[in-house]
Amino acid sequence: MNRTIVTLVGKDMVGIIAKVCTYFAENNINILDIAQTTVQDFINMMMIVDTSKTDKSFSQMTEELDKIGDKICCTIKAQHEEIFNMMHRV
Amino acid sequence: MGMIDPYEVLETNNMIERENLDVRTVTMGISLMDCCDPDLDALNMKIYDKIVSTARNLIPVAEEISLEYGIPIVNKRVSITPIGIVGASACRSPEDFVTIAHTLEKAAQKIGINFIGGYSALVAKGMTRSDRMLIDSIPEALGSTERVCASVGVATTKIGINMDAVRLMGDIIKKTAQRTADRDSIGCTKLVVFCNPPDDNPFMAGAFHGVTETDAVINVGVSGPGVVKTAVSRARDGDFETLCETIKKTSFKVTRVGQLVAKEASRRLGVPFGIVDLSLAPTPAVGDSIAEILQEMGLEMVGAPGTTAALAILNDQVKKGGIMASSYVGGLSGAFIPVSEDSSMAEAVTAGALTLEKLEAMTCVCSVGLDMIAVPGNTAPETLAGIIADEMAIGMINQKTTAVRIIPVIGKDIGDRAEFGGLLGASPIMPVNRFSCGGFVNRGGRIPAPIHSFKN
Repeated sequence: MNRTIVTLVGKDMVGIIAKVCTYFAENNINILDIAQTTVQDFINMMMIVDTSKTDKSFSQMTEELDKIGDKICCTIKAQHEEIFNMMHRV
Repeated sequence: MGMIDPYEVLETNNMIERENLDVRTVTMGISLMDCCDPDLDALNMKIYDKIVSTARNLIPVAEEISLEYGIPIVNKRVSITPIGIVGASACRSPEDFVTIAHTLEKAAQKIGINFIGGYSALVAKGMTRSDRMLIDSIPEALGSTERVCASVGVATTKIGINMDAVRLMGDIIKKTAQRTADRDSIGCTKLVVFCNPPDDNPFMAGAFHGVTETDAVINVGVSGPGVVKTAVSRARDGDFETLCETIKKTSFKVTRVGQLVAKEASRRLGVPFGIVDLSLAPTPAVGDSIAEILQEMGLEMVGAPGTTAALAILNDQVKKGGIMASSYVGGLSGAFIPVSEDSSMAEAVTAGALTLEKLEAMTCVCSVGLDMIAVPGNTAPETLAGIIADEMAIGMINQKTTAVRIIPVIGKDIGDRAEFGGLLGASPIMPVNRFSCGGFVNRGGRIPAPIHSFKN
């Protein structure tokens, strides 16, 4: 298991999550958890995904997520889970 | 381990995106002891090869880590064994030492780093012939390179203060200023005079790879003045207990990121992890300032009465939070109070709130010392030596690291401004006490070790 946290912030519109999920499905990245809040028109989403089975390198994946983000007017960020564990768990 | 909470993710990413949380430096320490050779050309070749082969992957690995964790790593640097030792058997003149400075510049350029530290001599008790030649070569070495950083250790608590070296450094600083007079005497921004210098400091310009260290090591400097400032502003109405707890918890979180990056860099480079340095290091960017933290604590301007107490709190709470967050803490580990590198410090000088004397008092309760201070170009070498002697005495008596990085900006005086550019920043020229200390600093010899160093 290689857990990566994906965060998405932007203006809400139809199909945002579908676009991101399709990308993960096409690249053999399993979604473990999704949390989402929408305040007024803005969406704030966090996904925990397993990147251990994908052929894509981390830098390829972030580049492609950037491109998807540009298309749907959102910022998508992928980070190894460990930075959050380190900071928030003793 | 519990599932990550979206609010925790948001908090971390806010720190990175809005509060300038980053890792300030990943510094690889490299021993050059095995490069020693009586032939100068052979020595230079070995030094170049050792640095380039050992640190070849430093930048790509740091960039990879930065991308994967989403945390900026601002600087990647190299520190080396003090060249006063490495060059001892090959160098017959200061000019010979300058060839090593040029080799270091080329090696730094090759691996893509902006600074390399360790053009240094440790002379707290005495200078070898080699150390003396290295010190004499500093003005030319710094004048003809961009990336090389020099430091000279002239005092320790165990040994005392080498006043001959202190006096000499007054001249060397002045000559370095003159050699780089066309660029606001920028050479002096890369020259540090130390008391109790640590062997594992990752921060420039004072970094060197001490002789107590192994072949190669990864040391990491965390940052985070912006994160601490935001946290302190949230505790604005709290009492001192609330204030201290807030700083401590924030420091813990910031340091954890440094620990993660240090361990990852160590693993990927195949180089042992040395230490995490807890120092809060400002940059000229707005919001990335130690002065702003102190002001957020309730001071109208840094330099006002209460500044020393506020800085003491900050320094102590940063350590208390950071110590538990890292398996090995070292280096300088405190708050830096450079003037030109911290735009709000420079502003306080312009406003007349912050003086050289207040800065000296502040150095008693933080790391490191009088740092990045621009003074009139006509300041006498004896006066520079007197300023150094005072700072060394503070370090010696209080068993802490102190340092002086002072820039007599040639051709400039009170009311003028020095511009160093980039992370080195800009600063107004600060007034210096005009009464002479020549009769004191010209005595020659050593100040003996203080009584509390005799613990055996």
